[in-house]
Amino acid sequence: MTSLRAPARPPVGGSRAARRPLRRLDGTTLSHYVISAVAGVLIVGPIVPVVVASLWTTPLYESGGEPTLANYRALLTDGAWWSAVWNSVLFATLMTVGSVVLGVTSAALFTRTNLPGRRLLAGIFLLPVVLPGIVLVLGWSTMWSQAGFAATWLRTNTFLSVPLDLYSVPGMALVGISVAAPVVFLFSRNTLVAVDPALEDAARTSGAGPVRALTTVSVRLLRPTVLNSTLLIFVIALEVLGLPLVLGFSNDIDMISTYLYNNWTNSSPPRHGLVSAGAVLMLLTVSGLLLLRNKLVGDVGRFAAVTGKPTGSRALDLGPIRWVLSAGMLALLSVMVLVPLAGVVMAASTTVFTPFISPWASLTTANFEAVFANPVFTRALVNSLLIASVGGALTTVAIAVLSVIAHRSDFRFRGGLQQSMMWPRMVPGLVTGMAFFWSVIVLDPSGAVRASLWAMGLAFAVRNLALGYSAFYPALAGVGRELDLAARTAGATYWTAMRTIVLRLVLPAMGASFVLLFVAMLNDAEPAVFLVTDDTPVLGLTMLQLAATNIGGNVAALGVIQMVITLVVLGVGRGLFGVRPNA
Amino acid sequence: MPELEIENLRKSFGDNTVLHDLSLTVPDGQITTLLGPSGCGKSTTLWSIAGLHRPDSGRISFGGRVVFDGARIDLPPERRNCGVVFQSYAVWPHMTVFDNVAYPLKLRKVRSARRRERVLEVLGLVELGDHVDRYPHQLSGGQQQRVALARALAHPPDMLLLDEPFSNLDAKLRDRSRDWLRSLQQRVGVTTVFVTHDQDEALSMSDQVVVMSGGEIRQIGTPRDVYENPADLFVADFVGTANILDATTLAADGTTATVRLDGLADPLRVPHAGTRTGAVSVTIRPEAVHIVRAGEAAGPNTVTAKVETVSYLGDHYRYVLRLGGARLVATTTRPVDGTEMTVRLAPGDLRLFEPETTPDHEQEYDDE
Repeated sequence: MTSLRAPARPPVGGSRAARRPLRRLDGTTLSHYVISAVAGVLIVGPIVPVVVASLWTTPLYESGGEPTLANYRALLTDGAWWSAVWNSVLFATLMTVGSVVLGVTSAALFTRTNLPGRRLLAGIFLLPVVLPGIVLVLGWSTMWSQAGFAATWLRTNTFLSVPLDLYSVPGMALVGISVAAPVVFLFSRNTLVAVDPALEDAARTSGAGPVRALTTVSVRLLRPTVLNSTLLIFVIALEVLGLPLVLGFSNDIDMISTYLYNNWTNSSPPRHGLVSAGAVLMLLTVSGLLLLRNKLVGDVGRFAAVTGKPTGSRALDLGPIRWVLSAGMLALLSVMVLVPLAGVVMAASTTVFTPFISPWASLTTANFEAVFANPVFTRALVNSLLIASVGGALTTVAIAVLSVIAHRSDFRFRGGLQQSMMWPRMVPGLVTGMAFFWSVIVLDPSGAVRASLWAMGLAFAVRNLALGYSAFYPALAGVGRELDLAARTAGATYWTAMRTIVLRLVLPAMGASFVLLFVAMLNDAEPAVFLVTDDTPVLGLTMLQLAATNIGGNVAALGVIQMVITLVVLGVGRGLFGVRPNA
Repeated sequence: MPELEIENLRKSFGDNTVLHDLSLTVPDGQITTLLGPSGCGKSTTLWSIAGLHRPDSGRISFGGRVVFDGARIDLPPERRNCGVVFQSYAVWPHMTVFDNVAYPLKLRKVRSARRRERVLEVLGLVELGDHVDRYPHQLSGGQQQRVALARALAHPPDMLLLDEPFSNLDAKLRDRSRDWLRSLQQRVGVTTVFVTHDQDEALSMSDQVVVMSGGEIRQIGTPRDVYENPADLFVADFVGTANILDATTLAADGTTATVRLDGLADPLRVPHAGTRTGAVSVTIRPEAVHIVRAGEAAGPNTVTAKVETVSYLGDHYRYVLRLGGARLVATTTRPVDGTEMTVRLAPGDLRLFEPETTPDHEQEYDDE
C-alpha cells in the first residue's frame, strides 16, 4: 500500500535553501581550504628553498647567481664526505643490530617471563627514552671514556678495564644502543602484550611446551615489529647529530650530520651550497628508507600501543636461572644507564670529578651558580622554556584543528592533509632547520624574523608535529563518529560540533600531546643548528655545542637542569593526563 | 509535521551502486520502516535524509522544503531540522542528561527558562525525569537510548530518524522499548523513519514498511500487506520465514493458476494474477502448513512426508519434513509422534512467484 504522492509544492524553504546552493562553497569548507593551505605551506613549503639553494651558485641571500650542479659535484668528489658516509653507515648498522637484539630480548624477558625485578629493570631500561639524549651521551663520556671516572676507577682498583674506546665508531654505536634499544623494546613489548594469549594456548594444546609456544608463536608475530624498528633505528642513526658531535670530536670522526654541521659553522666561508646539497641527499635517503618501511609494515604500526591486555598472557617460568639473568640485566643496565646518569649528576655537583679525589670532599653548588650567572645559559634556558610552553601549546592547538579537518570532515583533500602531517617525520631535524633558515632568509632579508624566536619556534613546531599528532590521533579515532554527527543533526555547524563535542572529548589527549611536545621542544637541538643567532640560543643546541668541546661541570649542571625539568614535566603530565612517552 | 518525499535517489561508491533511483513518500505523522538485510541501502537512505551522506542525484524534500536536489541544493545536516537516534545512541559522555537534551535548544538560542522547561518536558516524556543530572556512564543502555531519543525530539524536529536503535539492547528490553517507542511516537505524532534489519521490529512498529534489497525497494505496504502478500520471493523469504518449493504451472488464467507441486498427487489451484506457465516457486509460511492429526480425514491437497528433525522452541515445535526433493518446515504448538506426518497445503496460503524474481542474496555493500 504505497501512499499517494503529494503533488509538487513550491519549496517553502526555497529562499533559505537557495542561499547556499552548494555545500562545498560554504564557510566551513572555505575554512578547511584556508587552514590546510597554510599548513601545507608551513610544513612542506620550506623544503623548496633548500633544494633551490643546493642547485644555485650563490647563497640565496646574495643576489644573482645561476642554476648549477657544482654543489653536488663538489660534495660527491669530496673524500671527506665519503668517509663521513662510510662512518655513518657503519655506525648505523652496529647501532641497529645491537639495539634490535637487546630490545627484542629484553621485551621477551621483561613481559613474558617471571624474571625477578622485571618491572624495575624495564623502568631503568626506558629512562633514556624520556631523558634528553645529550645528557646520557655526556654521562657516558664522563664515566666510560678512557679518562672517565668509572673506567679509571676500574683500572685502578680492579683487574677490569673498559675494552672499548668510546671515541670510536663502535664506541659511539654502543652509546647509541643505550638510547635506541629501549625504542625497539617499546615496539616489541606492545606487540607481545597485544598478542592474543589464546594463540599460545592453542599451541600448548597442540603439544608445544611453553618455550616452544613462546618462540614459535609470539616471537614469530614480532617479525613486522622488528622490521619496522630496524629501519626506524637505522634512519635515526643516520641523521643524529649530538652523539657523533660530542664523541667523535676528539678523534675527528665525521659522520654525515657532523660533516654538514662543520662545513656550515666551522668552515670559512661557510659552504652553504654544498651543505644544502648534502641535506637534499640526506633527505632523499631518509625519506626513501621510511617510505620503504611504511610499505613493508603498513601504516597501522605507527599507532600501535593503544590496545593491549597487560595481564592477558601467561609468564614463562625460567627456573633458577632467572636470578642469574636478572643480575646480568641489572649489571648491563647499570653500565648503560645508571652509571652514566650518576656521572652527570656527580660531575654537576663536584668541583673535580675523578676517582682520585673523593667526590664527597669536592661537593659544590658552584656549577649551578655558574650556569645561572652566565647570560648565554640563562637566555638559552628562557628561550627554550618559551618555545616549549608557548610553542608547544600553539602546536597542540594546531594539531587538534588539523586533525579534525583531516579525520572528521568531508574536506576533499583530507588525505593529503594527513600525509603532510606525517611528512615532518620523514625529514631529518638538520634539514628542517636548514629549510626554515633558507625560507626565512628568502622571505625576510632584514633578518628580523630570524632574530626573534618565531622562526625557531616554527621550525621546532613543524619538526615535532608528527610526534604530537601520533600521540593525539588514537584519542581522536576513539571518539565515535556518530557523536559529532549527532551534534550536526541537532543543529550544530561543523566547527561548533568539533568545539563542543570532539575537541572537548579529546582534551586529555591534547594535554598529553602538549606534554610530549613540551619535552621534545625543550630538548631539541638539530633544527636550531642553522637557525640560531646570538639572540636565540636554545638549551639543546647550547648543550650540544658546549659538550662537543668540554665536559666541564657547567655543562653537566645544565644537563641536570634539563633532565630535572623534563622529568618534572613528564611526571606532572603522567599524573594529569596519563602521558606515556612511549608512543 | 511535514511528510517526507524522496525522488529518484541515487548513490554509488565507486562502481558499487548502493541506491538505484529510490523513490519513497513517508506520510505525515507516521512511522515508516526501512527493512532489509545489511548492505541493502537502508542506512544510506536514512543518512541521506539527515544530510550525513551526500547522494549523487535525486531530490529529498520535507513537506515541500527541498533539502537536497542533485547539484543544486544540499542543506548541511544542521539546517535540516531532523532528530536522529543513532545505532550507538551517540549520547555525549561529557555532558549530563540535561545538557545532552538541552544542546539542540541552546543552538537554537532558546531562552534559558524556556529551555529548562522544554528539556524537563521531553525527559518526562521518555520517563527520565529523575535522571536529569546523571552522566551517560551512570545510565543503563536502555536509559541512554531514551536520552538519545529525548535529544532527538527536543527542538522539536520535522523528522525523526532512527537507525537500528534497538540493536544494542537485550531481547526482553527490546520488546518493551518497541511498544514504548510506538506509543510515544503516536502521542508526539512526528513523521518517523526507522531503519532495521529485524522483521519483528518492522512489523510490530510501523504504519508502513519499505522492504529493500540491493539498493532497490522491493515492496512498500502495511506490515500486514508485506507479510501476507509479499510482492516477490525476496520479500516472502526475508519478512518472516517461508518454505520455497519448486513447482510447475500447468495453466493460468490471470486469477487462478493450476500448479503441480513435486510430491503432491493432484495439482493445486492457487490464486495468481499471472498467465505464464512453466517453472515457478511456491511459498507457504511454516505456521500455515496444516498438520493432519490422527483421526482427522486427510482430504485434498495433502501429502505424507518424512520427519527429518524436530526442535522444541518453548512456545512451539518446529518440524523439518522431507517432501520429495524439497524440505518443508512446519510449526505447531502440539507435538506429533512418529517419523512421518501428513500435512495439508491450503491453496489460500500458497503464493506463486515466477522465477526471474529470485533475489540475489549475496549482495554485500558497506551499509554505512
